[in-house]
Amino acid sequence: MRKRPGIGAIHKQRVEQERFRGKATELQDNVFEQMTSQMEKFRTNLETFASKHRNEIKKNPAFRKQFQDMCASIGVDPLASSKGFWSELLGVGDFYYEIAVQVIEVCLATSPRNGGLITLGELRQRLIKARGKAQHHQEISNDDIIRAIKKLKVLGPGFSIVSLKGTQDTSDILIRSIPGELSADHTEVLKAAEAQSFTSVKALKSTLNWDDVRCLQILNELLRDGVAWVDEQSPEKMYWFPSFFKPLMSEDEIALPPPN
Amino acid sequence: MEFTWPWEYDFPPFFTLQPNLDTQRKQLEAWRKLVLDYCRHNKIFVLDVQESISLFQNKAIDRQLSTEGINQVLESLLEYNQIEWCDKAKKQCLVYWKNPQEWGNLIYRYASDKGMTNTVCTFYELTAGDDVQNEEFAGMDQSLLVKALKTLEATNKAEIIMFGGNEGVKFF
Repeated sequence: MRKRPGIGAIHKQRVEQERFRGKATELQDNVFEQMTSQMEKFRTNLETFASKHRNEIKKNPAFRKQFQDMCASIGVDPLASSKGFWSELLGVGDFYYEIAVQVIEVCLATSPRNGGLITLGELRQRLIKARGKAQHHQEISNDDIIRAIKKLKVLGPGFSIVSLKGTQDTSDILIRSIPGELSADHTEVLKAAEAQSFTSVKALKSTLNWDDVRCLQILNELLRDGVAWVDEQSPEKMYWFPSFFKPLMSEDEIALPPPN
Repeated sequence: MEFTWPWEYDFPPFFTLQPNLDTQRKQLEAWRKLVLDYCRHNKIFVLDVQESISLFQNKAIDRQLSTEGINQVLESLLEYNQIEWCDKAKKQCLVYWKNPQEWGNLIYRYASDKGMTNTVCTFYELTAGDDVQNEEFAGMDQSLLVKALKTLEATNKAEIIMFGGNEGVKFF
């Protein structure tokens, strides 16, 4: 006959459970403590590493990116504030802040021509040109620019990153400096137009399998946004995109305010 | 030195009057700049609309601005006081890559630098003389010269004088 648990047994059970729970909590506390101290060790090592390789981090974009990735993997953000240990150690807070300010300047100067849509490649070229004259020549990479822009986004709407191929590959990235999201359809048309910097209703119909109405609507929206211009002297209306137009991308004349 | 054409000149849509008004405004601004830069580079003081057709077309990309487009550009230049019609038929216009006041000041500075104040100088000397060959105003159209000198008259810096059938100016 099974013995029915009495109050005593239940009580005993409870005490056992408490002890286990306590142990579990104690275990948890222990593990947590170990993790914290481990993280601290990571952090200290990272700081020592950063300190040792400070110049390399400043000068070499590829190295800098790897360092950033390392930081990210343990949850440290050197860009988190412009004050504090990291920015003092590396000056990176200021570094990205400066890039962000210059990105804004380039976008402001070029948006009358390209409707506020600029390729990452052109943006980088113009940044390098503007910086080369003043700063101790810190080379900046596409990755640096993207990080700086992401910081900008934190400050409010107005800057967005448009990826034409949906990959992390920075060669097909556009920076939009005018508020308002580009729809997926807009992005498809931009993708289609990128290679030759123009497209047409006919070309879109065959590439994207859209109907006339949809093609025209999206193209007209891009016209309205100042991102596309229309050419009516070809057999079929052609829609051109200054953002992709090579002679504009290499034109020198865009005046930037002098660096201070 | 070769004239540097702006990027827009190779951009086919530049030769189509843009339907989007914001874009059209940018387009006209670029055309105004092109006209002024081109005239400045080639020392063109008077633009003949018919003869300047090549300015409004680019054979390399087989595009040209329509008559309506050209008129819009000229209207825009007029609006910004960057041209002035020479005739009612609007066949020719003075192009103000420098405006009359700026010309007046430049000429006055030249005159005072050369110690020409208080002497009379003919229009011919001012625009075609040996001494002025390196000056920007060399070869200046006479009607523009008169406008420039009139701005100096208004500030008592000069006086236009007729003597013996010649037109001249005295700087003070």
